[in-house]
Amino acid sequence: MKKTLDVLGQVCPFPLVEAKEIIEEISSGDELVIQFDCTQATESLPRWAAEAGHTVTNFEQIGEATWTITVQKK
Amino acid sequence: MIYIEQTNPMQLLCIEKERKIDATLLTGLICGALLGFVMQRGRFCLTGGFRDMYIAKDNRMFYALLIAIAVQSVGVYTLIQLGVIEFSAGTFPWIAVIVGSFIFGIGIVLAGGCATGTWYRAGEGLLGSWIALFGYMLMSAIMKSGPLLPVNNSIQSFQFSNNSIAETTGLPVWVFIAIFVAIVIGIVMKEQRKPKVMIPTMRQRRTGLAHLLFEKRWHPFFTALLIGLIAILAWPLSEATGRMAGLGITTPSANILQFLVTGDQSILNWGVFLVIGIFLGSFIAAKASREFRFRMPDAKTSMTSFIGGIIMGFGASLAGGCSIGNGLVMTAMMTWQGWVALLFMILGTWTASYFVFVRPNLKKKSVANNQTILNT
Repeated sequence: MKKTLDVLGQVCPFPLVEAKEIIEEISSGDELVIQFDCTQATESLPRWAAEAGHTVTNFEQIGEATWTITVQKK
Repeated sequence: MIYIEQTNPMQLLCIEKERKIDATLLTGLICGALLGFVMQRGRFCLTGGFRDMYIAKDNRMFYALLIAIAVQSVGVYTLIQLGVIEFSAGTFPWIAVIVGSFIFGIGIVLAGGCATGTWYRAGEGLLGSWIALFGYMLMSAIMKSGPLLPVNNSIQSFQFSNNSIAETTGLPVWVFIAIFVAIVIGIVMKEQRKPKVMIPTMRQRRTGLAHLLFEKRWHPFFTALLIGLIAILAWPLSEATGRMAGLGITTPSANILQFLVTGDQSILNWGVFLVIGIFLGSFIAAKASREFRFRMPDAKTSMTSFIGGIIMGFGASLAGGCSIGNGLVMTAMMTWQGWVALLFMILGTWTASYFVFVRPNLKKKSVANNQTILNT
């Protein structure tokens, strides 16, 4: 199952704060797609995912200052 | 005859002044642009760094700041030793520094970035940062040359005569620099020994220099090293124009507004071009990395940013510096002002973080728990 979190327009640390919250709601093996445009989150989101032991299945820039990252819950 | 002799030096002075403005413009802009570029690419955010020490138990950005301080300290004191630049620590207005830095720490959390952070984020197209910047410039001008100047002056009048840690203790400044550098090297070695987590990166689309400059993730410690070097460079460049200081953000930001409303060209010093340079450098970095876009926050965030900017301007003006002027530069100069300011701005950041990030989360959790109890 896939769940999408749209945090476009939100500045740090809110994308990360929300991602941490939402991932609690999905089950292990499910994916969370996060759409964001806060530059600093390109550093904080993958770091958090890696340190928490989740798998990043997709991470790319989809436009001018817009990114998407998919985190699969461990 | 006497009349001519009196006017000639005046004319010379004018020419001298014009020449100085030219030099100021160029080196200040370049130094600022380098700083803005490096900060944008390195995602160098002190507000985030101080905040994460508390909410994420992550000290990496704080350690990065310490590296930048150490590099600058060694470089600048070497230049002083060689007689290239001059520095006078002045007095230590302790109440103003403590209160101002704490308030500044609160302001940067609300504004979503410290003074420099706000300048470079404005260059990324974040309109919330433009709003915060306006509040910051306005309040700094009000404190430095406006109706709150008497308040500012009276709080700053509580002073210790010695600001230099070396002078107070009677030990050579190099003792403190050596101890500090040793601590920083210890921290870096400890950090490098930690087990590495593989951090996922985006697929590489560019090659060579373009990849290194506009795509690759920069290690915070590498960014810090560059910032330390730029901070050293700022001293001789600034002093060559008669401005006897290193990097500084708050006074120059206020100067922009003061110039715009008075038209007084003498206000336009090296620092003004430095902050404009930060904006331009960040814009160039963001644009070339496809990270520039005008982004508009919602009404609530805009208001918070504006209030944050006002608080930040009040605090920084009172403390005589922001996270750069006090936190990066005055610390490197081994002054009481720098280190006390750094401590209290971190405490201010943590206090605001509690109310903005920690408490709302705790409330949400307790509501959720209550609901589970009711349901069972």
